[in-house]
Amino acid sequence: MKEALHVEWTKLRTVAGTVWLLAAVVLLTVALGVATSAAVSCSGVGCGQDPAKISLTGIAFGQAVVAVLAVLAVGGEYSTGMIRVTFAAIPRRSAVLAAKASVISVLVLVAGATAVLVSVLAGRIILPGNGFTEANGHAVLSLADGPVLRAAVGSVLYLVLVGLLSLGVATVVRDAATAIGIVLGLLYLFPVVAAVVSDPDWFDRLQRISPMTAGLAVQATTNLDSLPIGPWAGLGVLGLWAAGALSAGGLLLRLRDA
Amino acid sequence: MEATIEVTGLRKRYGPTVALDGMTFTVTPGKVTGFVGPNGAGKSTTMRVILGLDSVDEGRALVGGRSYRSLRHPLRQVGSLLDAGALQPSRTGRNHLLWLAHSQGLAARRVDEVVERVGLTSAIRRKAGGYSLGMRQRLGIAAALLGDPPVLVLDEPVNGMDPEGIRWMRGFLRSLAAEGRAVLVSSHLMSELQDTADHVVIVGRGKVIADVGVADLIESASGDRVTLRTGDRARATTVLAHAGATVAVTGSDTLTVSGLSGERVVALLGENAVPFSEVSAHRASLEEAYMELTRDAVEFHAAQEGAR
Amino acid sequence: MTGRDGFGQLLRAEWTKFRTVRGWVIGLVAAALVTVLIGLFGAAASNFSCSGPNGQPCAASTPPIGPGGEPVIDSFSFAHKTLTGDGSITARLTSLTAVSSSDGQAPVEDTQPWTKAGVVIKESTTPGSQYAAMAVTGGHGVRMQHNFTGDIAGTLSAKPSWLRLTRSGDTITGHESADGVNWHLVGTVTLPGLPSTVQAGLFATSPHHEEITESFASASGTSYPTLATAEFDRIDLEGTRPDDTWTGDNIGDRSGGRPDGGSPTGFEETGDGVTVRGSGNIAPIVAGRGGLGKTVESGLVGAFAGLIAVIVVAATFMTSEYRRGLIRTSLSASPRRGRVLAAKSAVIGSVTFVTGLAAASIAVPLVRAVERDKGHFAFPVPTATELRVVVGTAALLAVAAVFSLAVGTVLRRSAGAVTVVIVAIVLPYTLAIASVLPTGPSDWLLRVTPAAAFAVQQSMPEYPQVDAGYTPADGYFPLPPLGGFAVLCGYTALALGVAASVLRRRDA
Repeated sequence: MKEALHVEWTKLRTVAGTVWLLAAVVLLTVALGVATSAAVSCSGVGCGQDPAKISLTGIAFGQAVVAVLAVLAVGGEYSTGMIRVTFAAIPRRSAVLAAKASVISVLVLVAGATAVLVSVLAGRIILPGNGFTEANGHAVLSLADGPVLRAAVGSVLYLVLVGLLSLGVATVVRDAATAIGIVLGLLYLFPVVAAVVSDPDWFDRLQRISPMTAGLAVQATTNLDSLPIGPWAGLGVLGLWAAGALSAGGLLLRLRDA
Repeated sequence: MEATIEVTGLRKRYGPTVALDGMTFTVTPGKVTGFVGPNGAGKSTTMRVILGLDSVDEGRALVGGRSYRSLRHPLRQVGSLLDAGALQPSRTGRNHLLWLAHSQGLAARRVDEVVERVGLTSAIRRKAGGYSLGMRQRLGIAAALLGDPPVLVLDEPVNGMDPEGIRWMRGFLRSLAAEGRAVLVSSHLMSELQDTADHVVIVGRGKVIADVGVADLIESASGDRVTLRTGDRARATTVLAHAGATVAVTGSDTLTVSGLSGERVVALLGENAVPFSEVSAHRASLEEAYMELTRDAVEFHAAQEGAR
Repeated sequence: MTGRDGFGQLLRAEWTKFRTVRGWVIGLVAAALVTVLIGLFGAAASNFSCSGPNGQPCAASTPPIGPGGEPVIDSFSFAHKTLTGDGSITARLTSLTAVSSSDGQAPVEDTQPWTKAGVVIKESTTPGSQYAAMAVTGGHGVRMQHNFTGDIAGTLSAKPSWLRLTRSGDTITGHESADGVNWHLVGTVTLPGLPSTVQAGLFATSPHHEEITESFASASGTSYPTLATAEFDRIDLEGTRPDDTWTGDNIGDRSGGRPDGGSPTGFEETGDGVTVRGSGNIAPIVAGRGGLGKTVESGLVGAFAGLIAVIVVAATFMTSEYRRGLIRTSLSASPRRGRVLAAKSAVIGSVTFVTGLAAASIAVPLVRAVERDKGHFAFPVPTATELRVVVGTAALLAVAAVFSLAVGTVLRRSAGAVTVVIVAIVLPYTLAIASVLPTGPSDWLLRVTPAAAFAVQQSMPEYPQVDAGYTPADGYFPLPPLGGFAVLCGYTALALGVAASVLRRRDA
């Protein structure tokens, strides 16, 4: 396993794309977060906005890049046939998948933590100028605040789980483009379908199983009662998706010819 | 560990297509074993099975008495080259070898050694996407040698190489065998293995047709034929045919005679005063021997006959 | 001639390439399937529930239909007299206020911008019948409105204001005056086929006070009725029978005359005038979240999922050429590289268009049938609009496919191309439509990103005389349908230009 980890780390380290993609995760997450923070305003007490969530809006953008990074870690090997070289070198395929998952998780963890820290910091600086002041009932964003810390840590974990979900899907379908389509479809489709469903039961159901909506519930710091699912439970839903995709990938890896 | 590959009774179907139909053979150390057969005969599938990449419905393939997937550091036991193009183009050749070395717990120094051995030092820090086919083949050989394995499995290693490359590869394979390694080399062209292989495993339609030493194969294919060089083809033919030989014209002044020994041919020609400049035992090329053997096993050939 | 033949052959070659790869054909079939299935799921998972103020089920979910065929709300307090033939009605509105009370508390002043009262000539007291009105509003001055959708602004906004409507045949003219002496023409409208005998009188109405609180991923609204009180004097009717007295009606009343238990609606005659109290609105119904009806485009929500499949297929249609070096074969078979790109675009565009058209033409009637079956009210739209929505959706898919192909040509990597296009088209739409973002940034996203093209799916018009969300989440886009579509076309043209240029300059 230690060798498999070393291998996957060397592989990711030695293609130029990895660094660019990680930089893009940070950049795009921060950019959309800053843009949203600058665009919203709070006109008075109880304007219904959640400052932590606003500053972390960029996660919805950054996750697409995380998905690319994770999908390419598998899809790139299948498209070139290098996966056979890999499995000839390390016949324990589950070890290869586990090593890929671990390395991706660490990389996304680092990039995600950077992106989230900068986003929260930007929100802390920008939001008070847009009416998110103590007078309007919004404390200055601070990681010392329990819910804000949960939103920040949860957002980083959210990105990690999106990475694992993407890795699992890519292992199942073995094609980078299809995998990206499926992952982004899973993430972005549920909210849109939920928006047209008018049965409140179905609406809640869709929100609760949607990897993105449920997963991002962890970003909420205000109005927790109106959430379709609790913050950590929501992240758990995404975790289940990721675990399901990875298990399916691992199983197929074992059953199929390389 | 005994440096062998033992393949026993492999069977595998893809839907209605039978890919392997009881494939059985053994590769022994110190020899280059050619693995020959037409396209689609099951060579690549067998190699993937040996390397634990594909599963089989029946049978097993062992390397040094163990299944590939149970090996702790497989590349230290078996070096392989299946597809020289199977690398990510944006990575340098050296980094490609580096991750492979890491997978076997080998030091980076080992990478430089094998690179030097295959003569790729000047290009190794460039992106592999820009390599020529010959360079990729050399990189693939380097990867196979990384773990200094006693067994090598190479799928069509000279495919697409230039003549100089082919000559290099032949010498290289011979030197590997001379070091005591078991080398399995596949090809769909028997001529590629001439002067390289000590032993050939000839396959067709998923099973072994012949498993023989190259010398024996050529011997048997050559039979008791004699090549005769003469200025009087017509009389020579009459005389020899009269004595019960089958005579075929193979050149402006050469005949191939079968059914009579060389001594008998010389004696007959002498008795009848037919002039000749040379009589020699005919030596078949590996290609001829192969064609002879696979005449009935080749799928396309069979299909043609079926259509007739 | 040879050039044209050559391009035809190129088209055929690219078409053969496309249809002989099973994954691409499956991808497009999947796109069509998800488009229809998700639409059906959306309809099937939408249960209609409607309850009246005391929890009893609503009698009818179908709203009145206005003269233009659109669903309307026609609910107001009406003091009227019968008017036969030509004539006019004049009145001075001296005061207009509205109040609301929540949870039985004392009523507070709560005049809405479109609280309105004035004089009206109406075909009958049936909701949805033709009318023309001169009204003073709470926040938009004097307006002349007719048949629910017509709205002409006057010049006055102060009270008191004199208002006059004059009927001559089918034509009704509206005047306003600050002093009852100098009259200013506001507008002339035609009410085709207006019967000789109509109802003329005074009306007052005031829409619900609505507050939508947007928070991320959800929007919650509070809404409660308001009651308008309008005082009129100097009332003058010409053309009626003089002995006729005022009749009071609560048109389209659903609340039993007492909205939220406050003051009763209706009218009372004072010394020299009339006071009218009313609640409701006279306006077209606007679609939106929590609205009662289903729009045409709600059946096409699945096109969004189909779009993802189309993007993947179109991107790989180009990038797969690079993966195995097929592009060299393609370009040596046809050295004029721009034409290869054009042929590929034409093939992927047409194939996607046909697929999208088939999917949308199946999805729309099928989803409508399910919705009707479940008791939903379907907003009627003109055939031309429905056609635009269906064809527009197919065109959106086709142009997005070409966009994806062009991006694939530039990037040469399928994963990168698919991501760029999905992030450009699908992500903004998701962020905007699913209330992930507040309305401001959502509007902005749907103006400047290729996702603006989803505006072709909007079937319901915005009405300035109706206050409503009009947000992307309600199905209202910031750009007009063709304008939004043009944004996507612009991006696609740009991407194609870059693709053609790099294809020409780059070594294959």
